[in-house]
Amino acid sequence: MPKIKVPKKTPSLDMTPMVDLAFLLVTFFMLTTKFRPDEPVIVDQPSSVSDIPLPDKGVIMLTVDSKGRVFINVEGQPLRKDLLERVGKQFNQTFDEKQIKRFSILASVGMPSGQLKAYLDADDDGRRKMNASTAGIPIDSTNNELAIWVNSARNAAPRFSIAIKGDRDADIPTIKRVISILQDNKANRFALITNLEGAPEVSKTQ
Amino acid sequence: MSEVQQQEGSEKGGKHKKVRAKKSSTHIDMTPMVDLAFLLLTFFILTTTFSKPKTMDITMPVKDTTEINRTKVPASQTMSILLTENDRIIWYMGIDSAGLPPQTNMADFSISGEKSLHKVLLERNKLIGDQIRLVEDSVKRGLIPDNEEEIKKHKAAVKQAEKKGLIVLIKPDDKSKYKNLVDILDEMLICNVARYAIVDLSESEKELIKNAQQ
Repeated sequence: MPKIKVPKKTPSLDMTPMVDLAFLLVTFFMLTTKFRPDEPVIVDQPSSVSDIPLPDKGVIMLTVDSKGRVFINVEGQPLRKDLLERVGKQFNQTFDEKQIKRFSILASVGMPSGQLKAYLDADDDGRRKMNASTAGIPIDSTNNELAIWVNSARNAAPRFSIAIKGDRDADIPTIKRVISILQDNKANRFALITNLEGAPEVSKTQ
Repeated sequence: MSEVQQQEGSEKGGKHKKVRAKKSSTHIDMTPMVDLAFLLLTFFILTTTFSKPKTMDITMPVKDTTEINRTKVPASQTMSILLTENDRIIWYMGIDSAGLPPQTNMADFSISGEKSLHKVLLERNKLIGDQIRLVEDSVKRGLIPDNEEEIKKHKAAVKQAEKKGLIVLIKPDDKSKYKNLVDILDEMLICNVARYAIVDLSESEKELIKNAQQ
């Protein structure tokens, strides 16, 4: 029997379409991903059936963590620079270029005015430590720094809406106090940030 | 430098030969590139989060210290919900007046339990609930166009027009948690309670909670 000759062929296959697809997906994910700066606190929001999405931009965010510490966050670098300058004026503090630049790329800030400079001068590790030990922005009536922050933020960004991101276990007196400070600043409409949960079916059948 | 090059040129010029380009396949090994692409792909897929946080809008009244500008609420439609520690709820109908303690009831956050606040709210707010169901029915029958905006408008109109609906005063005490507050606000949304407010506790209500705990 004659030997059957198998034609010699390299076992390569055309990978071009697969590569095309892979890069397409890479591009998509690269463009849709937004890298967030480190949040100083992790907050476990309560859930609700409300399904209004939080707008991507234009939010002044007040975070209240489980220990009742208050943090503030505004997004957008030029805005944050403006905010820091306004706040600095109120606290009689001036910040140098480096501190302003640092502030503009950070996330939420919850420092009493006295520690703000030290916080901005510290390195990432130092900031993490300070965040763990901070008491948050003072909200008591004798030293109401949150009011100054909120007022400055509203002046810097008059069109921004206000959102409160509270932890499940945040205590009511703190939340009430924050709401009351907002009301003092004539901000009577705001949003509470929650996680989505399915509406109970029972309510429809009853 | 130039000299050296010239020398080389003359040497090679001696035995002149046609230089043939080696015939090689135009295929490039793309495997490393694909590896990299998929590595990046995996990274971005894993780091992306698509879930956006949701929000719940609330409107607080303008702070006004003068008594005259406060909204008066009819006692018969008013329901007070007191939130206290360990997720417990105390509720009563009417307005608390000094000297005459209101009939209080206990409730919890369950949907269908025996003490479910959800049931109580639905029952007390039946009027609005029925009206809204009517809107939903007419959507099914084609009387109202089936688009979300339109339905919302009709539902809002029902809520607006219904002056006989329940008015809920939410009174969280200092020991309750933020979660309880959000849960109650959520319940307002589910049970279609149109008018509700977050109010501070009065002294007599603090007493009430104290007594209820004993």
